[in-house]
Amino acid sequence: MEVFSRISEGNPVLNLSRLQLHGLDLDHVGEAQKKQIQQVYLTYNSLTLFPTSVCLLSNLEHLDLSNNSLKLVPDEITRLTSLKTLVAKNNHLDETSFPKHFGSMQIESLNMGGNRFREIPVQFLKLSKLQSLSLGGNRLKSIPAEIGKLSRLEMLYLGGNMISCIPPELANLSCLRYLVLCDNCIQSIPPQLNRLHALLSLSLHNNLLTFLPREILSLVHLQELSLRGNPLVVRFIKDMTYDPPSLLELAGRTIKSHNLPYLPRDLPANLCSYLDMASKCPNPKCAGVYFDSCVRHIKFVDFCGKFRLPLMHYLCSPECSSPCSSNPQSDAESEDEISVPVDRLQRVLLG
Amino acid sequence: MEQTELVKPETLDDLIKILHKIFEDDHVNIEEVQSIMEAYESNPQEWMKFAKFDQYRYTRNLVDEGNGKFNLMILCWGEGHGSSIHDHAESHCFMKLLQGQLKETLFEWPDRKSHGDMVQKSQRILLENQCAYINDSIGLHRVENVSHTECAASLHLYSPPFQQWHGDMHTGTPALHGSV
Repeated sequence: MEVFSRISEGNPVLNLSRLQLHGLDLDHVGEAQKKQIQQVYLTYNSLTLFPTSVCLLSNLEHLDLSNNSLKLVPDEITRLTSLKTLVAKNNHLDETSFPKHFGSMQIESLNMGGNRFREIPVQFLKLSKLQSLSLGGNRLKSIPAEIGKLSRLEMLYLGGNMISCIPPELANLSCLRYLVLCDNCIQSIPPQLNRLHALLSLSLHNNLLTFLPREILSLVHLQELSLRGNPLVVRFIKDMTYDPPSLLELAGRTIKSHNLPYLPRDLPANLCSYLDMASKCPNPKCAGVYFDSCVRHIKFVDFCGKFRLPLMHYLCSPECSSPCSSNPQSDAESEDEISVPVDRLQRVLLG
Repeated sequence: MEQTELVKPETLDDLIKILHKIFEDDHVNIEEVQSIMEAYESNPQEWMKFAKFDQYRYTRNLVDEGNGKFNLMILCWGEGHGSSIHDHAESHCFMKLLQGQLKETLFEWPDRKSHGDMVQKSQRILLENQCAYINDSIGLHRVENVSHTECAASLHLYSPPFQQWHGDMHTGTPALHGSV
C-alpha cells in the first residue's frame, strides 16, 4: 500500500527508504509506470531477501539497497541492462553472493562498503564499464592483479580492510584519480604506482609503512596525500648492514660494467638469466650495477615542498652517495635538521 | 522565581536568527552558543542545499555570512575524509554534527623540544547533533570522518568570521589551517 502511494506520475525516483519493509511488491504498478522508474532507494529497511521485483523495472539506472540484511544477489539482476549505479552498503554480502553473469552488466559505479567480502569477486573485475568501486570496511586481505584490467576505473576505495600488499598491476589503471588505501596493513608501496599519472588523491594513513619508494617523487601533481598513522621514520637513518658481495656477484658486476658480451651458447642458462637481472645503481655518477648485494639507505627527502618523507633506494655500495637530494647541502652523513626553517618543519610535523 | 529560558531553534532559519541576535552584543557566552547549536535538531531537508560533497576531500560551504562578528558554514566529509592538524587563528570555533559522526583528536601545542612528535591530549567521537567547541588556548585538533561507509556533515560557527579563503569559496581549500 505504502509503495503504491509513493509512486507519483512521471516521477522517475521511487524512494522507499526507512519503511520497515520486509519485501517489495510492485504488482500494482502498471507496465508503463514500471518503465518510467529510473532510481529506487530501499535503504534502511528489513530486507533479508533481494527484492526481485525491482528487476522488472527495465529502465532502472540507480539502485540503493544499503542498510538491510541481504546475503544474496540473484541472477535476475542481470535483466537490469540500464543499471549504472548499484549501492548495497552495510548488508551481509560476500564474494559468493553474486551471480555468475554479474560481470557482464553495464554498471559504472559499485559501492559494497560495510559487507563481508574476504576477496574481490571475479565478477566485479569483469565489469568493463566500471568507473567507481568501493569496498570500504570489508575483510579484504589482498588486491588481485586482475584489478589492472578495469581500464575505466577512476575511483577505488579500499579503506578499512586487512590488505597487506599492493599488486604492481594496480599501476595499469591509467584513469585512476582517487585511490584510498587507509586503515589497512600495508607495509610497502610498489614503485610502479608512479605510473598512475591521473592520480589526484592518495590516502595511505593508518598502515604499516616504514618508508616509501623514491619513485613516488614523480607523483608531484597529487593534490591530496595522507600518510599519518604509519611508522614512517622521522629521522634520517643510515642502515649500516652491508653484506659483502659474493664471487658470483663480483664476476657479474665486472661483466656488466665492462659490457662484455655473453650469449646462451657461452654460458649456462641460469648464469645468463642472472646477468640479465643486473640493476643499475641509482647514483648517476656511478656506472655500477648490483645484483643481490645492496645498501639500504633511508633518506629524509623533500617532497611536494610540504613533506619530508623517508624514501628508500638501493645503492651498490656504501660509497655511493644518494643522488636524490633536493637540498644540495644535505649530505648522506648529515643528521642536521637545523638548516630547515622552523615554520617549514612545523608544517610537516603538523601534517 | 526566575527561569532561564532555553529558546529551542525549531529550524535552521530559526537557529540563524537566534545566532544573529546573540551576536548583536559584543560579549557572547560560549556555553549559550554551544547549547543553542546543540538544541537544533538536524533536519537534512533544511540544509541539503548547502551540502556539496567532493570525492577527494572535505568541502566548506557558506550558509550565512553573519554580521561581521561570526559566520556559519557547513562542512561535508566524504568517507575517510579528514583535516590536517590545525589551529584556529585566535578564533572561536563551534562544530555541530548534522549527519554521521566525526572523530576529534586534540593535540598539545608543540614546543621546540618536541622534534616532530605531536602529543595527543584526547580523542572523542562526536555524534549527530552534538556540538563541540575549540579555541587556541585549548589546543590544536584534527577532525576526521573515520567511517568507510557513511558521509558526515557538520555546521561550523567561527567568531571572528572565517575569512581567509584560498581558492573557491564554496569548495573552500582551507589553506589557513595548513591543508593536507
